[in-house]
Amino acid sequence: MLRLLAPLLLAACTGGGARPEGFDAVACADLTATTCVEVAGGDTTLLQESANSLSDGMTLVLGEGTFMLDNSVTLRGGDGVTLIGQGIDSTILDFSSATTQGNGVDVVGDDFTIRSLTIQDSNKDGLRIEDSEHVTIQRVKVTWTGGPSPDNGAYGLYPVRVSDVLMEDSEAYNASDAGIYVGQCVGATVRNNIAKANVAGIEIENTQYADVYGNLAEDNTGGLLIFDLPGNPVVGRDIHVHDNVVRSNNRDNFAPGGTVQGIPAGTGTFLLASRRVELRDNTYEDNRTSDIAILSGLAIEPDPMAWAIQTADLRGDWEDLGLPVEGGALLNFATTEVLITGNSHSGSGTDPDGADLVERELGFLLSVVYGDTRVDDILYDAIEESAFHPTEATGNSNDNHICVHAESGATFASLDLETLGARAAALDFGSVEDLYRPAAPFAPFDCDALTAGPVVGPTAP
Amino acid sequence: MISLLLSGCAAGVTFDVDAPPERLSSTRLMRWEGDAGPSYGADVVPYEVNTPLFSNHAAKDRAMWLPPGEAATYDPVAAFDLPEGTILIKSFSFPADLREPDVDRRLIETRLLVRGPVGWVGFPYIWDDAGRDAVLSVAGGRTDVSIINEEGTPLDFTYVVPQKNQCVDCHELTGDDDEGYTTPIGIKARHLHRAVAGTDQLADLADRGLLVGLPPADELPAATDWASISLDDLASWSDAKVEAVTRDYLDMNCAHCHNRAGTEGVTSQLFLDPYEQDPFHLGVCKRPGSAGKGGVGRTFDIVPGDHEASIFWYRMQTEDLGSMMPDIGRELVHTQGVRLVEAWIDRMEGSCSE
Repeated sequence: MLRLLAPLLLAACTGGGARPEGFDAVACADLTATTCVEVAGGDTTLLQESANSLSDGMTLVLGEGTFMLDNSVTLRGGDGVTLIGQGIDSTILDFSSATTQGNGVDVVGDDFTIRSLTIQDSNKDGLRIEDSEHVTIQRVKVTWTGGPSPDNGAYGLYPVRVSDVLMEDSEAYNASDAGIYVGQCVGATVRNNIAKANVAGIEIENTQYADVYGNLAEDNTGGLLIFDLPGNPVVGRDIHVHDNVVRSNNRDNFAPGGTVQGIPAGTGTFLLASRRVELRDNTYEDNRTSDIAILSGLAIEPDPMAWAIQTADLRGDWEDLGLPVEGGALLNFATTEVLITGNSHSGSGTDPDGADLVERELGFLLSVVYGDTRVDDILYDAIEESAFHPTEATGNSNDNHICVHAESGATFASLDLETLGARAAALDFGSVEDLYRPAAPFAPFDCDALTAGPVVGPTAP
Repeated sequence: MISLLLSGCAAGVTFDVDAPPERLSSTRLMRWEGDAGPSYGADVVPYEVNTPLFSNHAAKDRAMWLPPGEAATYDPVAAFDLPEGTILIKSFSFPADLREPDVDRRLIETRLLVRGPVGWVGFPYIWDDAGRDAVLSVAGGRTDVSIINEEGTPLDFTYVVPQKNQCVDCHELTGDDDEGYTTPIGIKARHLHRAVAGTDQLADLADRGLLVGLPPADELPAATDWASISLDDLASWSDAKVEAVTRDYLDMNCAHCHNRAGTEGVTSQLFLDPYEQDPFHLGVCKRPGSAGKGGVGRTFDIVPGDHEASIFWYRMQTEDLGSMMPDIGRELVHTQGVRLVEAWIDRMEGSCSE
C-alpha cells in the first residue's frame, strides 16, 4: 500500500516545483509506473536492494552521480521493469571495483527498458540482456575508461536470445570483443548508435529480421559484421543494413581471443554464413583492408559438418530458406542471397592488414595478392561457386545469388580464397591477375533483387 | 534449554516468500553451535550430496524442511517434486584449516530456497560474526576469508555472498512453455543416493515419509561419492572411471547452467549434464559462441588430447575476472577439479580442423 502511494505523493510535491536533488532530467513523478523507486546518485545499497526486490512493472530511477558497484546489477524476477538514469555520463554505474567476475547490468525479464545512463569498467559484458522479449535500450553508453585493451570486458551492449529488441541512440567503446552485439535475436532494430574503438564495432550474429540503420562504426578493428556461428540454433536471415557510416575501422586487433581475433584491421563489413542480407545506402570510408567482404562460414570453420544443426533444435524461421539438410541436420555455412546497392566508397583498401598469416589469413592474402594495387571495395569469396574464372564473366557462376551494384563507382572482385591460401602456404603468392575483377555491371553478380523478395524487417517497434 | 524451545516451535515453520523474515532465527529452522555445526529445529532433516559443487572450499551443511504430512515425489532424472512450503537450507562455513574441518569453524551465510505458491524463491541470510543470527541480505555481501588449504598453504580471498537475484544464475531452467522457472539442484536421485551413517539416504527419507515413489535400491542411480576418491592415483584410473567421475563433477559444477534447458547456459551450446552424448555439445572441437576474452588465443572448447589448448580447461583454471568459469560462486581455483578435467581431455582421442 505504501509502495503504491509513494509515487502519488511525490507527484504532489513536484507539482509545487520542487524536484528531488539529482533528478533534474527524470523523476518518478514524470512516470506512470505504479511502483517507482528513486535511488539517489551513489546510493549503491539502495540500488542493489531495489534491484533484488523487483516486482512486475517496477521502475528504478537513478539520480545523477556515480554508483561504485562491487557486484553486478542483476535484474530478475519482474516483467516490465524499467531502469532509467539522468542521462549518459550523468548517471554512471561504475564496476571498476567489482571483485567478482560478472557483467555490469545483467538482465532476464520481458518488456524490460533501460535508458539514459552509462555503464563502465565491467569485468565481462557491460549490459547483457538474455532470454527476454520486448526489450528497449535507449541512450545507454558502455565503455571501459582505460581505453582499448585486451583486459577489457568482452561485449558492450549485448542483447542475446531476445525477441523484439530496440537499441537506439546508444554508444559502445573499447570492448575487447564487440561493442554492440545483437546475438541470437529474432526481431531487432538497431539504429542511431555509435560504436568506436572496439575490436568489432557492431555485430549482428545468428539473428533474424534485423533493421540496422543510422549507426556510426568508426575506429574499430572491424566496423559492422553480420554472421552466423557454427552449431547455433538460430539461423540468421533477413538483415537490412542501410544508411550507416562505416569509417576508418583501422584499429589494430586487440582481442585476447575468440572469433573476432581473426578480423583484419581495416575491415568495414563482412557477411559470413549469412543469407537474405541487404546492404544499402551505407557510407564506407577509409577502411584500409576493404569495405565489404562476403565470406563463407568455411573461412572460420572449414569442417562443413561442424555447422550441422539438428532441425529439431532450430528456433525461429528457417523452412523457407532452402538450406541443405543432411541426415536431419541443417547446414548454414554458405552466404547466399545478398544485395549490395547504393553504398558509397572512398579511401579504402589502401593498406590491407597483412601482419598475421596465422590469425588473420584474409588480411595477409589480400596484402600479398593486391601488392601495390588498391583492394577492391567489395570482395566475394567464391569458394562455394561451381565455377570461377579470373577473366571471363561466363566462366563464373552465381549459384549463391550475390547481387552487387556499382553506383558511385564501387569496385568488385571475386576470388578463390581457398586456392590462394593453399598457394600462399607453398610461398606461391598470387596476384590480382588471379582474381575476377569485372567492370560494372559485375555480371554474373549483377542481379537486381533477392530471389524471394526484399528482406523482411522486424515486426516491432 | 534454548534448543529444546527451538525444537518445540519448529513444527510451526511458516515462510511467506512475499514477506520473508528479516532474521533467520525467526524461522526457527536452525541455530549455529560453533564447531559442532548447525542444530536444526524439529522436522528439519539434514542431507548430503555425492559430488558437491565447489564453493571456494566452503563447508556446506544442507537440510530440508517439508510441511507436515507432505512428501517429495521421486524422479530418476529431474529434481524431486517438492511440496509447496518446502524450505531447503544450505549453510556455508569455513574451518580455519581445511585439514581440521571441525575446528574454528566460521559461519558466513545460509541460503534458503523456498517453494512458494508460484515457485521456488531463494533468500540469502548473512550471519553476524558470532554466529548468533543471520539477517536477510537481498543485495548479498562480501567478507574477507583466510584459510589454510589441504596442502597447508594459506589462502586469503574475498568471499562473495550472491544477491537474491543471482540465485537464479544457477537455479533456473527454461520450461517447455519457454518460461524460466527456479529449481533446486541437489535434490536429485543421483546426488542423494548415498549411504549416510550406514543408512541409504533415500530410503531414510522414504522411511520418514518425506519421499514417495522410491524404486528398489538396485534401480537407483548414483553419482560418484567425491569423498571416497583420491586423485593421487589418477594416472592409474581406467578411462571409464575418469569419464564417469569427470562427468559427475561437471554435472554438479557446470550443468546447472550448461544443459539444454539452462536459461543462460543454452547460449553457449555447451551442455555438460550427464545425459549429453554429442561430443560437439560436450565441447569437443566446438568453437565457443561468446567466450569473449575467455579463450586467450584458443580456438576450441576442447581440443582432444590437449588440455592446455582447450578453452574449457583455461576458464576453469584461471582467476582472471571476466574469463573464469563457473560464472559465479568461485573466487579460487578448484585444483582437484582442474586436474580431473585435464585427465579427461588428455585421454580423448581425435583432433580438430583449424
